Amino acid sequence: MKKETGKNLRELGYFASLGISVALSIFIGLGLGLWLDKKFDTDPVLMFVGLALGIVAGFSNIIRAGRKGKNY
Amino acid sequence: MEHPYLFLTSVFGLFGLEEWAAHHPHVTYMWLAMVILIVFGWLAGKSVSLVPETAQNVFEVLISGMEEFVVSITGEEGRKSYPLLISIFLFVLVGNLMGLVPAFYPPTASVNTTMALALIAVGWSHVVGVWHHGFKYIKHFLGPVPLMIPLFLPIELIAHTARVLSLTFRLFGNMMGHELVVLILLMLGGMFLAPLPVMAMGVFVALVQAFVFFLLSTMYIAGAIEEAH
Repeated sequence: MKKETGKNLRELGYFASLGISVALSIFIGLGLGLWLDKKFDTDPVLMFVGLALGIVAGFSNIIRAGRKGKNY
Repeated sequence: MEHPYLFLTSVFGLFGLEEWAAHHPHVTYMWLAMVILIVFGWLAGKSVSLVPETAQNVFEVLISGMEEFVVSITGEEGRKSYPLLISIFLFVLVGNLMGLVPAFYPPTASVNTTMALALIAVGWSHVVGVWHHGFKYIKHFLGPVPLMIPLFLPIELIAHTARVLSLTFRLFGNMMGHELVVLILLMLGGMFLAPLPVMAMGVFVALVQAFVFFLLSTMYIAGAIEEAH
């Protein structure tokens, strides 16, 4: 396999998995918040905290990809 | 949706295990995939010679080509992880292709199998990280500024959990969807060979999904090896 093809495939894999990782990050944050809410009986508070963390985690993926994409 | 007929379930039925096998087709067919891979490995390694012959040629091209590919992504340190990665690739490929054979159930169409594979791949990437950086590996999770650690730590943990889930659900969703479409088309228009085009595309899907799983595991290992940002 040529070196250029390998590099292109690597980038392809990285950017193709971006979308699903954003969506899943948000859901993981939300789920974590809901679970902790049930555990500590603080109904809506931790859900929002978890949701915010999940959204931030998802968007940090996008920002990181954008920084990486500047090289092209 | 229940599979209409499974070959291995009837085989296990001979030993009185039919009920168990009918409920765990992914386990029995995973064993079959393992047996296939072990037999192929044995065939390839049986008569290794300096000048390769037919079967050895094929395996050498596959194995050494993939090895160069992995090393080009991870650097020389990734060579130690290569046996795990190629095993994952071959196992997922064989598992996916099983979905195209009538009376076979692809083990990768069960979320149990894909979750196990994803946990192994991502877990191993962390093992490699600790192995390379020692205690400093934790810097990967802490972000650039010390003051922001309470913010960055949960974010990074969520992002790393998302890796496991994205690996799991991509493979599971694709194989499960393919299986379902083939089954439905078989029921609706099996007499007119309606599932044939979908099955032809299934060869492509099986290959691409196996490769994507392998590629992403490689990149997670590469990410664990490189220095913290």
